[in-house]
Amino acid sequence: MRLERLISDSAVRHPDRPAIKDEGGELSYRELDALADRTARALTELGVRRGDRVAIWLNKSTQAVAVMQGAMRIGAVYVPVDPMSPAARAATIMRDCRIGALVAPGDRARPVLHGELAGVPLLATDSDAGQMAWSDLDDLDGAPEPNRGSDDDLAYILYTSGSTGTPKGVCISHRNAMAFVDWAARAVGARAEDRFSNHAPFHFDLSVFDLYAAFRCGGRVAIVPEHHAYVPGALVDFIVCERITVFYAVPSALILMVDRGELLAQRGLALRAVVFAGEPYPIKQLRRLREGLPSVRLFNWYGPTETNVCTGYEVREIAPDRSVPVPIGHAASGDRVWAVSDDGSEARIGEEGELLVSGPSVAVGYWGRPPQGDEPYRTGDIVRLQDDGEYVYVGRRDHMVKIRGHRVELGEVEAALLAHPDVTEAAVVTVGAGIEARLIAFLAAGREPPLLEVKRHCAERLPRHMIVDSVVFLQELPRTRNGKLDRLALQRKTMQEVAK
Amino acid sequence: MTREEMLGELRQFVVSELLDGRDTGLDEHTPLLAWGVLDSLSVNVLVSFTSERFGIAVPQSEVTPENLKDLDAYVAMLTRHT
Repeated sequence: MRLERLISDSAVRHPDRPAIKDEGGELSYRELDALADRTARALTELGVRRGDRVAIWLNKSTQAVAVMQGAMRIGAVYVPVDPMSPAARAATIMRDCRIGALVAPGDRARPVLHGELAGVPLLATDSDAGQMAWSDLDDLDGAPEPNRGSDDDLAYILYTSGSTGTPKGVCISHRNAMAFVDWAARAVGARAEDRFSNHAPFHFDLSVFDLYAAFRCGGRVAIVPEHHAYVPGALVDFIVCERITVFYAVPSALILMVDRGELLAQRGLALRAVVFAGEPYPIKQLRRLREGLPSVRLFNWYGPTETNVCTGYEVREIAPDRSVPVPIGHAASGDRVWAVSDDGSEARIGEEGELLVSGPSVAVGYWGRPPQGDEPYRTGDIVRLQDDGEYVYVGRRDHMVKIRGHRVELGEVEAALLAHPDVTEAAVVTVGAGIEARLIAFLAAGREPPLLEVKRHCAERLPRHMIVDSVVFLQELPRTRNGKLDRLALQRKTMQEVAK
Repeated sequence: MTREEMLGELRQFVVSELLDGRDTGLDEHTPLLAWGVLDSLSVNVLVSFTSERFGIAVPQSEVTPENLKDLDAYVAMLTRHT
Protein backbone atom coordinates (compact mmCIF):
# COMPACT_ATOMS: atom_id res chain seq x y z
CA MET A 1 0.00 0.00 0.00
CA ARG A 2 1.37 3.40 -1.01
CA LEU A 3 0.71 6.62 0.86
CA GLU A 4 -1.03 8.41 -2.01
CA ARG A 5 -3.72 5.71 -2.04
CA LEU A 6 -5.10 6.95 1.29
CA ILE A 7 -6.71 10.06 -0.19
CA SER A 8 -7.91 8.42 -3.42
CA ASP A 9 -9.45 5.51 -1.50
CA SER A 10 -11.21 7.87 0.92
CA ALA A 11 -12.39 9.95 -2.04
CA VAL A 12 -14.11 6.84 -3.43
CA ARG A 13 -15.61 5.79 -0.09
CA HIS A 14 -16.90 9.17 1.04
CA PRO A 15 -16.21 11.88 -1.53
CA ASP A 16 -18.24 14.56 0.23
CA ARG A 17 -16.73 14.31 3.68
CA PRO A 18 -14.43 17.18 4.63
CA ALA A 19 -10.77 16.25 4.20
CA ILE A 20 -8.65 19.27 4.99
CA LYS A 21 -9.00 22.81 6.27
CA ASP A 22 -6.49 25.66 6.24
CA GLU A 23 -6.80 29.44 6.59
CA GLY A 24 -8.12 29.58 3.02
CA GLY A 25 -11.01 27.17 3.61
CA GLU A 26 -12.02 23.54 3.54
CA LEU A 27 -11.84 20.89 0.82
CA SER A 28 -13.82 17.65 0.60
CA TYR A 29 -12.10 14.39 -0.33
CA ARG A 30 -13.43 14.73 -3.87
CA GLU A 31 -11.95 18.23 -4.16
CA LEU A 32 -8.62 17.33 -2.57
CA ASP A 33 -8.34 14.25 -4.79
CA ALA A 34 -8.97 16.33 -7.92
CA LEU A 35 -6.47 18.99 -6.82
CA ALA A 36 -3.85 16.29 -6.18
CA ASP A 37 -4.42 14.94 -9.69
CA ARG A 38 -4.00 18.38 -11.24
CA THR A 39 -0.82 18.90 -9.23
CA ALA A 40 0.48 15.54 -10.46
CA ARG A 41 -0.21 16.58 -14.04
CA ALA A 42 1.54 19.91 -13.46
CA LEU A 43 4.65 18.21 -12.08
CA THR A 44 4.70 15.85 -15.07
CA GLU A 45 4.52 18.85 -17.40
CA LEU A 46 7.49 20.33 -15.56
CA GLY A 47 9.45 17.20 -16.40
CA VAL A 48 9.26 15.38 -13.07
CA ARG A 49 9.59 11.61 -13.48
CA ARG A 50 9.39 8.60 -11.20
CA GLY A 51 12.03 8.75 -8.46
CA ASP A 52 12.74 12.49 -8.94
CA ARG A 53 12.81 14.71 -5.86
CA VAL A 54 10.34 17.59 -5.63
CA ALA A 55 11.20 20.27 -3.07
CA ILE A 56 8.16 21.86 -1.41
CA TRP A 57 9.15 25.21 0.11
CA LEU A 58 5.73 26.45 1.13
CA ASN A 59 3.99 27.59 4.25
CA LYS A 60 1.70 25.00 5.78
CA SER A 61 -1.37 24.83 3.60
CA THR A 62 -3.73 22.62 1.64
CA GLN A 63 -1.66 23.63 -1.37
CA ALA A 64 1.48 22.06 0.14
CA VAL A 65 -0.43 18.86 0.93
CA ALA A 66 -1.74 18.71 -2.65
CA VAL A 67 1.82 18.96 -3.96
CA MET A 68 2.96 16.09 -1.69
CA GLN A 69 0.10 14.01 -3.09
CA GLY A 70 0.78 15.08 -6.64
CA ALA A 71 4.44 14.10 -6.36
CA MET A 72 3.64 10.65 -4.98
CA ARG A 73 0.97 10.04 -7.62
CA ILE A 74 3.62 10.18 -10.33
CA GLY A 75 6.07 8.13 -8.26
CA ALA A 76 8.20 11.12 -7.29
CA VAL A 77 9.63 11.83 -3.84
CA TYR A 78 8.66 14.98 -1.96
CA VAL A 79 11.07 16.98 0.16
CA PRO A 80 9.38 19.45 2.53
CA VAL A 81 11.73 22.36 3.26
CA ASP A 82 11.27 24.48 6.39
CA PRO A 83 9.50 27.67 5.23
CA MET A 84 11.44 29.51 7.96
CA SER A 85 14.76 28.26 6.62
CA PRO A 86 17.18 30.81 5.16
CA ALA A 87 17.90 30.52 1.43
CA ALA A 88 21.45 29.21 2.03
CA ARG A 89 20.31 26.20 4.04
CA ALA A 90 17.35 25.49 1.75
CA ALA A 91 19.73 25.53 -1.21
CA THR A 92 22.11 23.13 0.58
CA ILE A 93 19.22 20.67 1.01
CA MET A 94 18.04 21.06 -2.59
CA ARG A 95 21.55 20.53 -3.94
CA ASP A 96 22.13 17.54 -1.66
CA CYS A 97 19.17 15.57 -3.01
CA ARG A 98 19.49 17.04 -6.53
CA ILE A 99 15.88 18.16 -6.86
CA GLY A 100 14.04 17.80 -10.14
CA ALA A 101 11.53 20.58 -9.42
CA LEU A 102 10.75 23.23 -6.84
CA VAL A 103 7.34 24.40 -5.67
CA ALA A 104 7.57 27.76 -3.86
CA PRO A 105 6.46 31.38 -4.01
CA GLY A 106 8.44 33.21 -6.69
CA ASP A 107 10.25 35.60 -4.33
CA ARG A 108 11.33 32.79 -2.06
CA ALA A 109 12.60 30.65 -4.94
CA ARG A 110 14.62 33.30 -6.77
CA PRO A 111 17.64 33.46 -4.39
CA VAL A 112 18.22 29.68 -4.56
CA LEU A 113 17.71 28.98 -8.26
CA HIS A 114 21.18 29.78 -9.50
CA GLY A 115 24.52 28.00 -9.70
CA GLU A 116 23.96 24.27 -9.45
CA LEU A 117 20.19 24.81 -9.12
CA ALA A 118 19.92 27.23 -12.06
CA GLY A 119 17.98 24.97 -14.41
CA VAL A 120 15.51 23.55 -11.88
CA PRO A 121 11.91 24.05 -13.05
CA LEU A 122 9.75 26.11 -10.67
CA LEU A 123 6.04 25.85 -9.99
CA ALA A 124 5.47 29.32 -8.52
CA THR A 125 2.50 29.37 -6.18
CA ASP A 126 1.95 33.12 -6.06
CA SER A 127 2.94 34.49 -9.45
CA ASP A 128 4.05 33.60 -12.95
CA ALA A 129 7.72 33.77 -11.92
CA GLY A 130 8.28 30.10 -12.72
CA GLN A 131 7.90 27.74 -15.65
CA MET A 132 4.39 27.19 -14.36
CA ALA A 133 2.04 29.10 -12.06
CA TRP A 134 -0.52 27.69 -9.64
CA SER A 135 -3.30 29.29 -11.70
CA ASP A 136 -2.21 27.14 -14.67
CA LEU A 137 -3.45 24.09 -12.77
CA ASP A 138 -7.03 25.01 -13.64
CA ASP A 139 -6.30 24.10 -17.26
CA LEU A 140 -5.08 20.61 -16.39
CA ASP A 141 -7.77 18.01 -16.15
CA GLY A 142 -7.98 14.30 -15.63
CA ALA A 143 -5.90 11.85 -13.67
CA PRO A 144 -2.19 11.38 -14.27
CA GLU A 145 -0.90 8.10 -15.69
CA PRO A 146 -1.26 5.55 -12.90
CA ASN A 147 2.19 4.93 -11.45
CA ARG A 148 3.45 1.38 -11.09
CA GLY A 149 5.59 2.25 -8.14
CA SER A 150 6.34 -0.22 -5.39
CA ASP A 151 5.95 0.10 -1.65
CA ASP A 152 9.73 0.20 -1.36
CA ASP A 153 10.04 3.41 -3.39
CA LEU A 154 10.85 6.53 -1.41
CA ALA A 155 7.80 8.59 -0.47
CA TYR A 156 9.57 11.61 1.06
CA ILE A 157 12.83 12.85 2.50
CA LEU A 158 12.95 14.77 5.80
CA TYR A 159 16.09 16.77 6.52
CA THR A 160 17.33 16.92 10.10
CA SER A 161 20.20 18.75 11.73
CA GLY A 162 23.62 17.17 11.08
CA SER A 163 26.47 17.22 13.61
CA THR A 164 29.11 18.17 11.04
CA GLY A 165 27.21 21.26 9.95
CA THR A 166 25.31 19.81 6.97
CA PRO A 167 21.69 18.65 7.28
CA LYS A 168 21.03 14.94 6.68
CA GLY A 169 18.18 13.67 4.50
CA VAL A 170 16.25 10.82 6.10
CA CYS A 171 14.73 8.71 3.30
CA ILE A 172 11.31 7.26 4.10
CA SER A 173 9.73 4.67 1.83
CA HIS A 174 6.00 4.11 1.42
CA ARG A 175 6.43 0.88 3.39
CA ASN A 176 8.20 2.72 6.26
CA ALA A 177 5.51 5.39 6.49
CA MET A 178 2.57 2.99 6.18
CA ALA A 179 3.94 0.73 8.94
CA PHE A 180 3.78 3.73 11.25
CA VAL A 181 0.50 5.18 9.98
CA ASP A 182 -1.32 1.83 10.25
CA TRP A 183 -0.04 1.26 13.77
CA ALA A 184 -0.77 4.83 14.86
CA ALA A 185 -4.30 4.90 13.44
CA ARG A 186 -5.10 1.69 15.33
CA ALA A 187 -3.42 2.92 18.52
CA VAL A 188 -5.67 5.99 18.75
CA GLY A 189 -8.68 4.24 17.21
CA ALA A 190 -8.89 6.73 14.32
CA ARG A 191 -12.31 6.90 12.64
CA ALA A 192 -14.04 8.94 9.96
CA GLU A 193 -15.79 11.18 12.51
CA ASP A 194 -12.42 12.32 13.90
CA ARG A 195 -11.22 15.86 13.42
CA PHE A 196 -7.43 15.84 13.53
CA SER A 197 -5.17 18.81 14.09
CA ASN A 198 -1.89 19.48 12.37
CA HIS A 199 0.39 21.42 14.69
CA ALA A 200 3.86 20.33 13.51
CA PRO A 201 5.49 21.79 10.41
CA PHE A 202 5.61 19.49 7.37
CA HIS A 203 9.40 18.99 7.52
CA PHE A 204 8.93 17.63 11.04
CA ASP A 205 7.83 14.00 11.20
CA LEU A 206 5.01 14.57 13.70
CA SER A 207 3.00 15.93 10.75
CA VAL A 208 3.02 12.49 9.08
CA PHE A 209 0.52 11.19 11.61
CA ASP A 210 -1.76 14.23 11.39
CA LEU A 211 -2.14 14.05 7.64
CA TYR A 212 -2.07 10.35 6.86
CA ALA A 213 -3.96 9.02 9.86
CA ALA A 214 -6.75 11.44 8.90
CA PHE A 215 -6.68 10.49 5.23
CA ARG A 216 -6.55 6.77 6.06
CA CYS A 217 -9.79 6.83 8.05
CA GLY A 218 -11.54 9.50 5.97
CA GLY A 219 -11.39 12.03 8.81
CA ARG A 220 -10.70 15.73 8.61
CA VAL A 221 -7.44 17.50 9.39
CA ALA A 222 -7.23 21.21 10.23
CA ILE A 223 -3.89 22.95 9.79
CA VAL A 224 -2.54 25.28 12.49
CA PRO A 225 -0.77 28.14 10.71
CA GLU A 226 2.97 28.44 11.55
CA HIS A 227 2.58 31.79 13.26
CA HIS A 228 0.03 30.43 15.74
CA ALA A 229 2.00 27.33 16.70
CA TYR A 230 3.12 28.83 20.03
CA VAL A 231 0.43 31.47 20.66
CA PRO A 232 -1.44 29.81 23.54
CA GLY A 233 -4.78 31.59 23.14
CA ALA A 234 -4.88 31.02 19.40
CA LEU A 235 -4.10 27.31 19.84
CA VAL A 236 -6.86 26.82 22.40
CA ASP A 237 -9.33 28.73 20.19
CA PHE A 238 -8.32 26.44 17.34
CA ILE A 239 -9.02 23.30 19.37
CA VAL A 240 -12.39 24.66 20.46
CA CYS A 241 -13.55 26.13 17.13
CA GLU A 242 -12.39 23.24 14.94
CA ARG A 243 -13.85 20.78 17.48
CA ILE A 244 -10.57 18.84 17.37
CA THR A 245 -10.88 15.25 18.61
CA VAL A 246 -7.26 14.10 18.17
CA PHE A 247 -4.47 16.55 18.96
CA TYR A 248 -0.79 15.74 18.43
CA ALA A 249 2.05 18.10 19.33
CA VAL A 250 5.30 18.50 21.20
CA PRO A 251 4.86 18.85 24.99
CA SER A 252 6.05 22.49 24.75
CA ALA A 253 2.90 23.43 22.86
CA LEU A 254 0.59 21.55 25.24
CA ILE A 255 2.25 23.09 28.29
CA LEU A 256 1.75 26.58 26.84
CA MET A 257 -1.94 25.85 26.24
CA VAL A 258 -2.43 24.59 29.78
CA ASP A 259 -0.34 27.25 31.55
CA ARG A 260 -1.17 30.31 29.47
CA GLY A 261 -4.16 29.42 27.30
CA GLU A 262 -6.57 28.00 29.89
CA LEU A 263 -7.05 24.80 27.93
CA LEU A 264 -8.30 22.94 30.99
CA ALA A 265 -10.92 25.59 31.76
CA GLN A 266 -12.66 25.15 28.39
CA ARG A 267 -16.09 23.58 28.43
CA GLY A 268 -17.38 21.19 25.80
CA LEU A 269 -14.01 20.23 24.31
CA ALA A 270 -14.43 17.53 21.67
CA LEU A 271 -10.98 16.11 22.45
CA ARG A 272 -10.82 12.36 22.91
CA ALA A 273 -7.09 11.72 22.39
CA VAL A 274 -3.99 13.82 22.95
CA VAL A 275 -0.67 12.52 21.68
CA PHE A 276 2.73 14.03 22.40
CA ALA A 277 6.25 13.25 21.25
CA GLY A 278 9.57 14.86 20.49
CA GLU A 279 10.78 15.64 24.01
CA PRO A 280 10.10 14.51 27.59
CA TYR A 281 6.91 15.89 29.16
CA PRO A 282 7.84 17.14 32.66
CA ILE A 283 5.84 15.01 35.08
CA LYS A 284 4.40 17.91 37.09
CA GLN A 285 2.85 19.44 33.99
CA LEU A 286 1.73 16.08 32.61
CA ARG A 287 -0.06 15.39 35.87
CA ARG A 288 -2.02 18.64 35.45
CA LEU A 289 -3.02 17.60 31.93
CA ARG A 290 -4.01 14.11 33.13
CA GLU A 291 -6.14 15.49 35.95
CA GLY A 292 -7.62 18.28 33.81
CA LEU A 293 -8.69 15.95 30.98
CA PRO A 294 -9.70 12.80 32.87
CA SER A 295 -11.68 11.19 30.03
CA VAL A 296 -9.18 11.94 27.25
CA ARG A 297 -6.73 9.22 26.22
CA LEU A 298 -3.12 10.41 26.48
CA PHE A 299 -0.24 8.87 24.54
CA ASN A 300 3.51 9.40 24.75
CA TRP A 301 5.17 8.40 21.48
CA TYR A 302 8.87 8.17 20.81
CA GLY A 303 11.07 7.81 17.76
CA PRO A 304 13.82 9.67 15.92
CA THR A 305 12.86 10.69 12.36
CA GLU A 306 14.90 7.65 11.22
CA THR A 307 12.35 5.28 12.82
CA ASN A 308 9.06 7.23 12.53
CA VAL A 309 7.55 6.19 15.86
CA CYS A 310 9.17 3.08 17.32
CA THR A 311 7.74 3.01 20.84
CA GLY A 312 4.51 4.17 22.41
CA TYR A 313 2.98 4.39 25.86
CA GLU A 314 -0.56 5.16 26.92
CA VAL A 315 -0.63 7.38 30.01
CA ARG A 316 -3.34 6.21 32.36
CA GLU A 317 -3.12 7.14 36.04
CA ILE A 318 0.08 8.80 37.16
CA ALA A 319 1.23 7.60 40.58
CA PRO A 320 1.29 10.54 43.03
CA ASP A 321 4.90 9.80 44.00
CA ARG A 322 6.22 9.61 40.41
CA SER A 323 8.95 12.23 39.94
CA VAL A 324 10.37 11.31 36.53
CA PRO A 325 8.71 11.50 33.09
CA VAL A 326 6.40 8.63 32.05
CA PRO A 327 7.95 5.83 29.97
CA ILE A 328 8.39 6.05 26.22
CA GLY A 329 6.83 2.59 26.30
CA HIS A 330 7.29 -0.52 24.23
CA ALA A 331 7.76 -1.38 20.56
CA ALA A 332 5.40 0.19 18.01
CA SER A 333 4.87 0.17 14.22
CA GLY A 334 5.71 -3.55 14.00
CA ASP A 335 9.28 -2.83 15.11
CA ARG A 336 11.54 -4.61 17.56
CA VAL A 337 13.35 -2.43 20.11
CA TRP A 338 16.01 -3.36 22.64
CA ALA A 339 18.69 -1.66 24.68
CA VAL A 340 22.38 -2.51 24.53
CA SER A 341 24.63 -1.76 27.51
CA ASP A 342 28.19 -0.47 27.20
CA ASP A 343 29.57 -4.01 27.28
CA GLY A 344 27.49 -4.93 24.21
CA SER A 345 25.00 -7.16 25.98
CA GLU A 346 21.24 -6.63 25.86
CA ALA A 347 20.14 -4.58 28.88
CA ARG A 348 18.03 -6.48 31.39
CA ILE A 349 15.36 -5.15 33.72
CA GLY A 350 16.66 -2.15 35.65
CA GLU A 351 19.69 -1.69 33.38
CA GLU A 352 20.49 1.18 31.04
CA GLY A 353 21.63 1.00 27.45
CA GLU A 354 21.38 2.60 24.01
CA LEU A 355 18.05 1.93 22.32
CA LEU A 356 18.29 0.00 19.04
CA VAL A 357 15.43 -0.42 16.56
CA SER A 358 14.78 -2.75 13.67
CA GLY A 359 11.62 -3.28 11.68
CA PRO A 360 9.36 -1.91 8.97
CA SER A 361 9.28 1.73 10.12
CA VAL A 362 13.08 2.11 10.18
CA ALA A 363 14.07 4.48 7.36
CA VAL A 364 15.78 3.25 4.22
CA GLY A 365 18.80 5.40 5.12
CA TYR A 366 20.24 8.86 4.53
CA TRP A 367 20.21 10.38 1.08
CA GLY A 368 23.55 9.92 -0.62
CA ARG A 369 24.82 7.35 1.90
CA PRO A 370 24.73 3.55 1.96
CA PRO A 371 21.30 2.16 2.91
CA GLN A 372 20.56 0.98 6.44
CA GLY A 373 19.90 -2.54 5.11
CA ASP A 374 19.18 -5.08 7.84
CA GLU A 375 21.33 -3.25 10.39
CA PRO A 376 19.35 -2.08 13.42
CA TYR A 377 19.18 1.70 13.81
CA ARG A 378 21.13 3.02 16.80
CA THR A 379 19.10 5.89 18.24
CA GLY A 380 21.85 7.45 20.38
CA ASP A 381 19.26 7.61 23.16
CA ILE A 382 19.98 5.97 26.50
CA VAL A 383 16.98 4.17 28.02
CA ARG A 384 16.28 1.98 31.03
CA LEU A 385 14.09 -1.11 30.96
CA GLN A 386 11.44 -1.10 33.68
CA ASP A 387 10.24 -4.32 35.27
CA ASP A 388 6.88 -4.00 33.47
CA GLY A 389 8.63 -4.13 30.08
CA GLU A 390 8.33 -0.41 29.34
CA TYR A 391 11.39 1.65 28.42
CA VAL A 392 12.17 4.96 30.14
CA TYR A 393 14.16 7.68 28.40
CA VAL A 394 17.32 8.61 30.29
CA GLY A 395 19.39 10.90 28.05
CA ARG A 396 21.60 11.29 24.99
CA ARG A 397 24.94 9.74 24.11
CA ASP A 398 26.06 12.76 22.07
CA HIS A 399 25.51 16.48 21.54
CA MET A 400 22.11 16.38 19.96
CA VAL A 401 19.53 18.44 21.86
CA LYS A 402 15.87 19.25 21.43
CA ILE A 403 14.47 22.74 21.08
CA ARG A 404 10.68 22.54 21.30
CA GLY A 405 10.88 19.06 19.82
CA HIS A 406 13.18 20.03 16.95
CA ARG A 407 16.42 18.12 16.75
CA VAL A 408 19.41 20.39 16.98
CA GLU A 409 22.95 19.13 16.53
CA LEU A 410 25.08 21.56 18.51
CA GLY A 411 27.86 20.91 15.98
CA GLU A 412 25.76 22.42 13.19
CA VAL A 413 25.22 25.63 15.19
CA GLU A 414 28.91 25.74 16.14
CA ALA A 415 29.96 25.31 12.50
CA ALA A 416 27.73 28.25 11.53
CA LEU A 417 29.16 30.44 14.31
CA LEU A 418 32.73 29.62 13.28
CA ALA A 419 31.94 30.98 9.83
CA HIS A 420 31.76 34.47 11.42
CA PRO A 421 35.00 36.33 10.61
CA ASP A 422 35.57 37.49 14.21
CA VAL A 423 34.89 34.15 15.89
CA THR A 424 37.87 31.91 16.59
CA GLU A 425 36.27 29.31 18.88
CA ALA A 426 32.62 28.38 19.39
CA ALA A 427 30.71 26.02 21.64
CA VAL A 428 26.97 25.89 22.15
CA VAL A 429 25.09 24.52 25.13
CA THR A 430 21.43 24.45 26.05
CA VAL A 431 19.86 25.72 29.20
CA GLY A 432 16.39 24.81 30.37
CA ALA A 433 14.15 22.17 28.89
CA GLY A 434 11.00 22.01 26.82
CA ILE A 435 9.34 25.34 26.32
CA GLU A 436 12.11 27.18 28.17
CA ALA A 437 15.01 25.59 26.27
CA ARG A 438 17.56 28.17 25.14
CA LEU A 439 20.76 27.97 23.10
CA ILE A 440 23.76 29.74 24.63
CA ALA A 441 26.88 30.27 22.56
CA PHE A 442 30.30 30.54 24.18
CA LEU A 443 32.59 32.37 21.81
CA ALA A 444 36.20 33.40 21.69
CA ALA A 445 36.50 36.29 19.28
CA GLY A 446 38.98 38.99 18.24
CA ARG A 447 36.21 41.58 18.20
CA GLU A 448 33.10 40.79 20.23
CA PRO A 449 30.13 41.09 17.85
CA PRO A 450 26.86 42.24 19.45
CA LEU A 451 24.07 39.68 19.90
CA LEU A 452 22.01 41.22 17.09
CA GLU A 453 24.89 40.68 14.68
CA VAL A 454 25.40 37.08 15.85
CA LYS A 455 21.69 36.37 15.41
CA ARG A 456 21.74 37.88 11.94
CA HIS A 457 24.76 35.76 11.06
CA CYS A 458 22.99 32.60 12.28
CA ALA A 459 19.78 33.57 10.50
CA GLU A 460 21.60 33.55 7.18
CA ARG A 461 22.71 29.95 7.74
CA LEU A 462 20.34 28.14 10.09
CA PRO A 463 16.61 27.61 10.55
CA ARG A 464 15.01 29.85 13.17
CA HIS A 465 14.89 27.36 16.01
CA MET A 466 18.69 27.03 15.76
CA ILE A 467 19.47 30.75 16.12
CA VAL A 468 21.34 31.28 19.40
CA ASP A 469 19.47 33.03 22.21
CA SER A 470 22.46 34.56 23.95
CA VAL A 471 26.22 34.81 23.72
CA VAL A 472 28.96 34.68 26.35
CA PHE A 473 32.46 35.79 25.35
CA LEU A 474 35.50 34.06 26.83
CA GLN A 475 39.23 34.58 26.29
CA GLU A 476 39.42 30.94 25.33
CA LEU A 477 37.09 27.97 25.67
CA PRO A 478 37.77 25.51 28.49
CA ARG A 479 39.54 22.33 27.35
CA THR A 480 40.10 19.00 29.02
CA ARG A 481 43.67 17.77 29.53
CA ASN A 482 43.64 16.01 26.18
CA GLY A 483 42.54 19.19 24.42
CA LYS A 484 38.87 18.35 23.90
CA LEU A 485 36.24 20.94 24.55
CA ASP A 486 35.23 20.72 28.22
CA ARG A 487 31.45 20.75 27.93
CA LEU A 488 30.97 20.06 31.62
CA ALA A 489 32.89 23.23 32.50
CA LEU A 490 30.71 25.14 30.04
CA GLN A 491 27.56 23.72 31.60
CA ARG A 492 28.79 24.98 35.00
CA LYS A 493 29.49 28.42 33.53
CA THR A 494 26.03 28.36 31.98
CA MET A 495 24.46 27.78 35.38
CA GLN A 496 26.41 30.79 36.68
CA GLU A 497 25.24 32.93 33.76
CA VAL A 498 21.63 31.94 34.35
CA ALA A 499 21.98 32.69 38.08
CA LYS A 500 23.15 36.26 37.31
CA MET B 1 1.61 58.91 22.57
CA THR B 2 3.16 59.56 19.18
CA ARG B 3 4.38 56.88 16.82
CA GLU B 4 7.96 57.99 17.46
CA GLU B 5 7.58 57.66 21.24
CA MET B 6 6.04 54.25 20.91
CA LEU B 7 8.80 53.12 18.57
CA GLY B 8 11.43 54.43 20.97
CA GLU B 9 10.01 52.53 23.94
CA LEU B 10 9.58 49.31 21.99
CA ARG B 11 13.07 49.59 20.61
CA GLN B 12 14.49 50.07 24.09
CA PHE B 13 12.46 47.11 25.35
CA VAL B 14 13.70 44.83 22.58
CA VAL B 15 17.34 45.88 23.02
CA SER B 16 17.33 45.49 26.81
CA GLU B 17 14.96 42.54 27.29
CA LEU B 18 15.32 40.43 24.16
CA LEU B 19 18.91 41.29 23.22
CA ASP B 20 22.12 41.90 25.14
CA GLY B 21 21.46 45.56 25.91
CA ARG B 22 24.14 46.70 23.48
CA ASP B 23 22.85 49.43 21.23
CA THR B 24 23.64 48.00 17.86
CA GLY B 25 21.62 49.95 15.39
CA LEU B 26 18.36 48.08 15.80
CA ASP B 27 15.84 50.23 13.99
CA GLU B 28 12.23 49.99 12.87
CA HIS B 29 13.22 47.98 9.80
CA THR B 30 15.42 45.37 11.51
CA PRO B 31 13.83 41.99 10.70
CA LEU B 32 12.80 40.73 14.13
CA LEU B 33 11.38 37.33 13.17
CA ALA B 34 13.83 36.48 10.41
CA TRP B 35 16.85 37.18 12.64
CA GLY B 36 15.42 35.35 15.62
CA VAL B 37 15.16 38.44 17.82
CA LEU B 38 11.52 37.53 18.27
CA ASP B 39 10.61 33.87 18.42
CA SER B 40 7.39 32.06 19.13
CA LEU B 41 7.86 32.65 22.87
CA SER B 42 9.26 36.17 23.03
CA VAL B 43 6.33 37.29 20.89
CA ASN B 44 4.19 36.64 23.97
CA VAL B 45 6.58 38.75 26.06
CA LEU B 46 6.36 41.62 23.59
CA VAL B 47 2.56 41.44 23.50
CA SER B 48 2.40 41.51 27.33
CA PHE B 49 4.72 44.51 27.45
CA THR B 50 2.53 46.28 24.90
CA SER B 51 -0.55 45.71 27.00
CA GLU B 52 1.11 46.83 30.26
CA ARG B 53 2.96 49.82 28.89
CA PHE B 54 0.52 51.19 26.30
CA GLY B 55 -2.72 49.60 27.47
CA ILE B 56 -3.26 48.06 24.04
CA ALA B 57 -4.57 44.50 24.00
CA VAL B 58 -3.25 42.92 20.81
CA PRO B 59 -5.93 40.57 19.43
CA GLN B 60 -4.73 37.08 18.47
CA SER B 61 -5.77 37.65 14.90
CA GLU B 62 -3.13 40.40 14.69
CA VAL B 63 -0.29 38.14 15.88
CA THR B 64 0.86 37.46 12.34
CA PRO B 65 4.27 37.32 10.66
CA GLU B 66 3.38 40.48 8.70
CA ASN B 67 2.66 42.48 11.88
CA LEU B 68 5.70 41.19 13.73
CA LYS B 69 8.29 41.29 11.00
CA ASP B 70 9.73 44.58 12.30
CA LEU B 71 8.90 47.40 14.70
CA ASP B 72 7.54 49.55 11.90
CA ALA B 73 4.88 46.95 11.06
CA TYR B 74 4.17 46.30 14.73
CA VAL B 75 3.60 49.96 15.55
CA ALA B 76 1.43 50.39 12.45
CA MET B 77 -0.75 47.55 13.72
CA LEU B 78 -0.87 49.06 17.24
CA THR B 79 -1.90 52.40 15.81
CA ARG B 80 -4.95 50.73 14.27
CA HIS B 81 -5.96 49.59 17.76
CA THR B 82 -5.60 52.87 19.65
